[in-house]
Amino acid sequence: MKRFPWKASAKVLSRELAATAALLLGVSLVVFVILYLAPGDPFAALLGGRTLSGAERDAAYEALGIPKTWYGQYLAWVGNVLQGDFGISTRSGQPVAHELISSGGKTLFLTVGSLLVTLGVAIPIAAIAAVRPASRIARSSTLLVYLVSALPTFWLGYMLIYFFTKQLGLFPILSATDENQQLSWLYALLPVVLLGLGNGALSEIVRYLREEISRVMSEEYVRTARAKGASIWRHAYKEALLLPVSQIIAAKMPFVLGGAIIVEQVFNWPGLGRVAWQAAQDRDYPVIMAITLLAAIVVRLGSFFHRTVYVAVNPRASHL
Amino acid sequence: MKFTYRQDVDTVSEYSSFSAWKSARRGDRLSVIYGLVVVCVVLVSYVLGALKWLPHDPEAMDLDAMMAAPFTGSYLLGTDFMGRDMLTRLILGIQAYFLPGLLAVIISLGLGSLLGVLAGYRGGRAEGGVAYFSNLIDSLPRMVLMLLVIAAFRPDIYTIMLVFGITTAPTIAMLVKSKVLMLKERNFIESAVALGLSPAVIIFKHILWYNCRALLLIQATIGMAEAVLLETSLSYLGFGVQEPTPSWGNMVQAGANYLMQGNFWPSTAPAFAIMLTVLGFHLLGDGLNNIFEWKQSR
Repeated sequence: MKRFPWKASAKVLSRELAATAALLLGVSLVVFVILYLAPGDPFAALLGGRTLSGAERDAAYEALGIPKTWYGQYLAWVGNVLQGDFGISTRSGQPVAHELISSGGKTLFLTVGSLLVTLGVAIPIAAIAAVRPASRIARSSTLLVYLVSALPTFWLGYMLIYFFTKQLGLFPILSATDENQQLSWLYALLPVVLLGLGNGALSEIVRYLREEISRVMSEEYVRTARAKGASIWRHAYKEALLLPVSQIIAAKMPFVLGGAIIVEQVFNWPGLGRVAWQAAQDRDYPVIMAITLLAAIVVRLGSFFHRTVYVAVNPRASHL
Repeated sequence: MKFTYRQDVDTVSEYSSFSAWKSARRGDRLSVIYGLVVVCVVLVSYVLGALKWLPHDPEAMDLDAMMAAPFTGSYLLGTDFMGRDMLTRLILGIQAYFLPGLLAVIISLGLGSLLGVLAGYRGGRAEGGVAYFSNLIDSLPRMVLMLLVIAAFRPDIYTIMLVFGITTAPTIAMLVKSKVLMLKERNFIESAVALGLSPAVIIFKHILWYNCRALLLIQATIGMAEAVLLETSLSYLGFGVQEPTPSWGNMVQAGANYLMQGNFWPSTAPAFAIMLTVLGFHLLGDGLNNIFEWKQSR
């Protein structure tokens, strides 16, 4: 058996990393341009000043050391961001980085948990639908997935709250800020399940997985394995499960992050989505810029993760 | 002077619609039929709303019949928490997304097929540029980007849908690109090039019209479903259509205040409207895709 091509893989992955950096630079430019074109003077706030106009502004800029040209402002901002300085929130007056760290953990919990729920629901349904496409259970579960995906997340959230807290009395009305209550980890289950089921991508994920699994199952190497009585799972799991799942995690990251905004709104969950909503409401530019950048970084990391799995599973890819 | 290759359209187009429909699976045909019914209902309701041919005044409150159940008196679908006719407001809610959604779909199809043809037909540096643009757009979660744009500009729904159209263009660009790459190898495109037809004719007529129209139609229905979800989500978050103008999103949001008391109807009726519509557009797209696109790619 040939050894794993470490060197070539490292080369491919470092090229991926460079592409990721180039994309993030592009994202920062897009974010900058959108806010540069916005009415008002977002960058005075961002770089620590007040909003002024005309000659007064020029003088204030000079005193604060804010560049006057747009590329100067862009470079100053990117420089600050690279040092972890996202500016001061115009609403709370706190450094944005602090706010992001405290709410970021809650959103991370929500998104990772919801990905697990999504995969936990999607993989069995897709597997059944791929292996026994005509069975009643496959058909009814696929239909159910379609219906759930089409339901608006916010309404589904209210229904969950109603039935679990009001009717069944299982959870108190949710609030992750009540740290001292017992069973506080239980409160998190509803939003996690809601985001896992209702981010709108569930039906797409099931369909994609089903097609991948049934494609791999009809590959010749699987037929060979079946013919000689070897374990199909051992032969097929890499291509039929590992690759599609990492692909889904990479491709659905934006949907999960977007869905988190709505779910956090429904459940009053003090995460990044809620902070982003508040920032959009208050036109809190430093905060919304930082969150957009952070979201883009997470999406790119997901994509990088997929590439890593791809190279690890398929060493041929490192010779392309 | 006329060339003869136009006589047998079937060989220059991948589509042979009627036989594909006849040999389609029953489930796919049902999906398409359900989707078409939904599209018709949405269209008719849109026209009714635009002409103001409504069963009731959308803002007239009937204080004697608040949160009435369906089929109460003249209220076919009941009333909301202020005693306003539900059916009227549901019909008017279509105004909130129909034209903006159409705009988004047109922009995303236009930009997407332009970029796709550019990448597939020219290749080389153009392909690299389009790939970079797509990855760039895909890096920004749509909802987060929307909040950024909302924070910056306080835009109306048309501007939001314009941004939405741009963000969905890369998906279409990638689909068109792979289609163009496949078609470029085919004899009829090669012979069109050899005959000296202008690139515009080859691209618009032979590639986009003869061979990508089903793909684009399918993507249009899926784009419409996503536009409905986006508009209702933004209206739910309070950034889209504002009360008292009805949108299915703000109807769910306003009705949810009464849900804890056990009054489901004010928020459930618009939620079901969203579900049935989104499902209809999705199933239409999926069914058409299974019938006309998926089969030929095997």
